[in-house]
Amino acid sequence: MANVLDLRRRIRSVKNTRQITKAMKMVSAAKLRRAQERALQARPYAKMITSVLESLTRRIDIFDETTGNLKHPLFVTRPEKRILLIIVSGDKGFAGAFNANILKAAFQFITGNTDKQIDIEAVGRKGRDMMRRRYPVAVYTEQTDDQGVARQVRDRKAPVEVTGDHPGMLLKLEQGRVHELAESVIARYVHEEIDAVYIVYNEFKSVISQRLVVERLLPLMKIGIPQITGAVEPTTEERERAAEAALSAGIEIEAVDTAEADDEAKKFGTANVDYIYEQPAEELFAGLLPQYVFSMLYHAMTESVAAEHAARMTAMDSATNNASDMIDSLTLHMNRVRQAAITKEIIEIVSGAAAL
Amino acid sequence: MAEETNQLRIRLVTPERTMFEHAATAVELPAKNGYFEVLYGHAPLVAELGAGDVIVHCGADIADGSTAGASRYNVSWGFVEVLPDRVTILASDALKPEEIDVPRAEQQLDRGQKMWKEAGESEDAYTDALRVISEAEAKIASAHEKA
Repeated sequence: MANVLDLRRRIRSVKNTRQITKAMKMVSAAKLRRAQERALQARPYAKMITSVLESLTRRIDIFDETTGNLKHPLFVTRPEKRILLIIVSGDKGFAGAFNANILKAAFQFITGNTDKQIDIEAVGRKGRDMMRRRYPVAVYTEQTDDQGVARQVRDRKAPVEVTGDHPGMLLKLEQGRVHELAESVIARYVHEEIDAVYIVYNEFKSVISQRLVVERLLPLMKIGIPQITGAVEPTTEERERAAEAALSAGIEIEAVDTAEADDEAKKFGTANVDYIYEQPAEELFAGLLPQYVFSMLYHAMTESVAAEHAARMTAMDSATNNASDMIDSLTLHMNRVRQAAITKEIIEIVSGAAAL
Repeated sequence: MAEETNQLRIRLVTPERTMFEHAATAVELPAKNGYFEVLYGHAPLVAELGAGDVIVHCGADIADGSTAGASRYNVSWGFVEVLPDRVTILASDALKPEEIDVPRAEQQLDRGQKMWKEAGESEDAYTDALRVISEAEAKIASAHEKA
């Protein structure tokens, strides 16, 4: 049986741990608040892009007369043989099952599409590390064609390869880097290197309303409607835990009401008037589409960042609670041991006196 | 009181945030094919923006030709919707002139010129280079304008 001194040491160490987890929880709560703010501020732009595109699609001259489809390479659907999968995970651990869940969804997607070639683009350090361990990195070799122009040639060895990673992109979310990613994705799609683009990320509307989704980014089908192909809702228990953690950290549980601002934004470019289009409608449309893809990506990332902080906050809140429970039980145990020792000593003294 | 009511509501929105929301008498916009100015009562219009300065005139400065009451924002690429009483600018990137990092813009200009030289036969490469160059030039010009 442990003695009182050992128990006291253990209690002290658990107390220190509790201090750390508590601090981490508060830091995550502050970061979550900022991330939510940013996600909110990014909303008007995304909404406006969507609404102006919608209004442009209503104009007949963008449509192809023969097929009835929109005349733009991003609307072209091909049989899905080569898929690009963008995995948005966290950059750091200590966030409960956040990263594990995202990776699980990603692996499910990969194993569900074994007959196709999949390229992986990992955003976030955790996802990158995991994917790199499992799958080979794509190899490019430079070749010169008959016109003497050097170009990169892909030499595919495995059905699943990692084509790029972006560690640290989420730590300081800059639109420049997201832009680069969006452009590279679009270029690959337009050059028919890939037939579809999917993204796995954690959607986050508020602390209690979030889910893990697999969304199809390209080809575009209809502007403004996300093509969710798979979603994992959190369990009621998880949701309650998150709400509890948010409450104790002073975070708003419900999503902030932005209906008014959203309505305002939706009006962009859709007023019921005959617009003068400074450039031909097709040109405007072609200019707007990359922005639309960018805003979808940016949206996914801002939400994922918020979700990561929320997950970390919840995990750290649980850890703090567990530490408190542990301290309680250890203190109880310590007192018992002390009592037992005292009782034992008294018995010894009493029986010693009786023997005299 | 005619002047009070004949005001445009200008909004400048970037992917990160709403930069600016204000009433103004006129606004100058850098469309892709040249600058244009919008006054109250303009016909509805949608245009793509290039790289350049958005100048918002808030007062009587138009009459005397000074730019005292005007605020200037450097924007790169975007779209604008003009309605008779409302102008909404969607910019990919917007900066106040004092926020412009001139050395960085100059580096960008050098990079653009290098891209231009190396573009070879490819038309896309020229377009890309031109984008970089015009963005850098607009930034430098707008930074100098302020100074």
